[in-house]
Amino acid sequence: MKRDHQEISGSGSKPAESSSIKGKLWEEDPDAGGMDDELLAVLGYKVRSSDMADVAQKLEMLEKVMGTAQEDGISQLGDTVHFNPSDLSGWVQNLLIEFNGPTTTPDPNFNDDSEYDLRAIPGVAAYPPVKSDPGLENTRKRAKTESSSSSSSTTTRPVVLIDSQEAGVRLVHTLMACAEAVQQDNLKLADALVKHIGLLASSQTGAMRKVATYFAEALARRIYRIFPPDSLDPSYNDKLQIPFYETCPYLKFAHFTANQAILEAFSMASRVHVIDFGLKQGMQWPALMQALALRPGGPPAFRLTGIGPPQPDNTDALQQVGWKLAQLAERIGIEFEFRGFVANSLADLEPEMLDIRPPEIEVVAVNAVFELHPLLARPGGIEKVVSSIKAMKPKIVTVVEQEANHNGPVFLDRFTEALHYYSTLFDSLEGSGVAPASQDLAMSELYLGRQICNVVACEGMDRVERHEPLTQWRTRIETAGFSPVHLGSNAYKQASMLLALFASGDGYRVEENNGCLMLGWHTRPLIATSAWRLAGTESGSELTQELS
Amino acid sequence: MAGSNEVNLNECKMVVPLNTWVLISSFKLAYNLLRRPDGTFNRHLAEFLDRKVPANLNPVDGVFSFDVLIDRATGLLCRIYRPATAEEPEPNIVELEKPVVGDVVPVIIFFHGGSFAHSSANSAIYDTLCRRLVGICKAVVVSVNYRRAPENRYPCAYDDGWTAFKWVNSRSWLQSRKDSKVHIYLAGDSSGGNIAHHVAARAVESGIDVLGNILLNPMFGGQERTESEKRLDGKYFVTLRDRDWYWRAFLPEGENRDHPACNPFGPNGRSLEGIKFPKSLVVVAGLDLIQDWQLAYVEGLRKAGKEVKLLYMEQATIGFYLLPNNNHFHTVMDEISEFVSSDC
Repeated sequence: MKRDHQEISGSGSKPAESSSIKGKLWEEDPDAGGMDDELLAVLGYKVRSSDMADVAQKLEMLEKVMGTAQEDGISQLGDTVHFNPSDLSGWVQNLLIEFNGPTTTPDPNFNDDSEYDLRAIPGVAAYPPVKSDPGLENTRKRAKTESSSSSSSTTTRPVVLIDSQEAGVRLVHTLMACAEAVQQDNLKLADALVKHIGLLASSQTGAMRKVATYFAEALARRIYRIFPPDSLDPSYNDKLQIPFYETCPYLKFAHFTANQAILEAFSMASRVHVIDFGLKQGMQWPALMQALALRPGGPPAFRLTGIGPPQPDNTDALQQVGWKLAQLAERIGIEFEFRGFVANSLADLEPEMLDIRPPEIEVVAVNAVFELHPLLARPGGIEKVVSSIKAMKPKIVTVVEQEANHNGPVFLDRFTEALHYYSTLFDSLEGSGVAPASQDLAMSELYLGRQICNVVACEGMDRVERHEPLTQWRTRIETAGFSPVHLGSNAYKQASMLLALFASGDGYRVEENNGCLMLGWHTRPLIATSAWRLAGTESGSELTQELS
Repeated sequence: MAGSNEVNLNECKMVVPLNTWVLISSFKLAYNLLRRPDGTFNRHLAEFLDRKVPANLNPVDGVFSFDVLIDRATGLLCRIYRPATAEEPEPNIVELEKPVVGDVVPVIIFFHGGSFAHSSANSAIYDTLCRRLVGICKAVVVSVNYRRAPENRYPCAYDDGWTAFKWVNSRSWLQSRKDSKVHIYLAGDSSGGNIAHHVAARAVESGIDVLGNILLNPMFGGQERTESEKRLDGKYFVTLRDRDWYWRAFLPEGENRDHPACNPFGPNGRSLEGIKFPKSLVVVAGLDLIQDWQLAYVEGLRKAGKEVKLLYMEQATIGFYLLPNNNHFHTVMDEISEFVSSDC
């Protein structure tokens, strides 16, 4: 009966059917209350079934209020900053507030606009009172739901292929077969295959050739147990980062988005302290310092603590960077203080060493760009560092990590993931407009090649390139007692504009993901920036109770 | 004005499930924020708000996907959806372009909607829809990430559609065993339906067979204001004003809605008489204000002697096919399945 459809328009009304539809429309499943609506979840929207009617009401409210404004475009909302569109309820709420004007009493601890204390909203929008504490409790519960669901969700394997060629496929096939042989400890076969790869690779051009060559070399090292000689010299990596910074936008994006979050966290402070977990050449800081210098009301006093590995030649690389930044600070008129700390591992840091001043005096930001994943190589490493971070009482923690699954337990899986990931990365470098034979490009490729080598050839404490996807970092960081600070549409827009400047028309894309920003090449996200604060710092003790 | 709005909202809510209403209303709200009166589009905010999903080699409900950059120069990308097989439950990178297995394997080239300005092949709503089509039609689906207006006006979307069509047609791994040819269907919703029509026309002109067109609430229009446009303006999520905006954004500057891209059987259109145009399945939602144009399109096909099946879903609004929570959805999916499988 349901399938008895008519071809031409006609009266066609089926009363029985429409009433059954109507009956279903507004029926609320009493059991579904605390759960997200499944159908909307698939489409990227997290709305609890029990909140659906409320969200609908708010949408209607907005429609009414915006009704007349539609005549001349909704220009007054043009400057609104949007956050976390997956949280439909929050998004709509935000717009209602924007449209009605701020009616909440601003929480003095909130300097960024990332979250609104929804309990404080008076009944301007007349929707029925919700039984439990709406906004913040929802946020907490949602975070919980998210973390529990992300641990059980299957991992995604995104792949972007460049229009394939026959030879490329054979090459990949052989690489995979070789990795499989290694996985099965069939070293004789692996050896034969690795030699074959070399042959196949030589007939390739471009990114495929380079990627295959690096993977083949890494496989060979694994087979013959000849580990990379300078894998233990992180300072070399630091130097390779400069050409990588120059040739492609990944690092620029990382610095830029992290700085956005830091700037917002610093907005009212008169003294600020950035603790950079990996100072390297300090490339992230001039832009932040310049932005601070331009702050209306004048710049804060800026203190930078830079952490770095020991240098093989015992030079004080950190001090050199600090000195350059001090010169910049003087030029632009910022009070500047620098301190460098040499450490083999972040886990060796003791927060007392860093001279943390009380939060009323100085606002702290902790910055970790590609610095957390190596800690996964030693047991207890990440836990130690996370607890150190907490002891630093930061207002904001910025984390940038590779969006990749290179730390699974099975070698073959890691190999496959890495093959996809670095193929995409190398493809993006290929189109980057840098002259093919440039020194910078070669160094950038070497920088990535060393990562490949580490992922494929090393094990145990030596395997430091333990990249994990954002969903896993989120779970880890939230469980450790942090709450997300959402990066909004303003940061997104500026990051996109930055890309247009530095990487025009080459397929780089920024994506928003539950309050974090990701940079990818076409549809494949490659790095992710997230920002965090200590849970319970903004809204009182109810939150910590909620979490425990 | 306020009074009639209230009536509208209530009517609207009567015909769709609550979560559908919330979904489409949110889109409507977002889209209102993105269109500027001067004809420009807030692309950054659009991309920020759009919910996207990555491709996934891990099969989900029996379907896996991967992206292919088919034209590096324009950045044209397609997302390919394939059924996971019993032999290869976990496809790896070398299996992606393994030949399809079967005497007859339909390949559906899908063009997502969004009124030429919104959405992408990797938008969650379209990723979900394409995955469904794989199962329903036992087909490979190729979703085209065509360039959008207003940054890229006519004919960019059609050119991209054509590029994708040629690419699909030339993949040996997509050929059906029966005749070593790729069995192509064109499908799309809203602007995607419009693109499907124009790509089909170009295909037959070039002597390449298209086995069928599937048009879901296809986006057509014209200079004239039709009865349905006047009657339904603003009543079910869509206004005439926003329709006008999108045409102005897509059509070449200075052109009006009787341009053949918009109005293929209008005063500047061309009859398809004598042309081997494929059979069409056209789905029209009874609460879509542009239905008169869609019905006129069907009429135009009929007059030219082309095979066309009209599915008029009386109580359906735009976007009904995005969520499987209504009868229209299931009816249409069954019809699509039959339409594609009848080619054996």
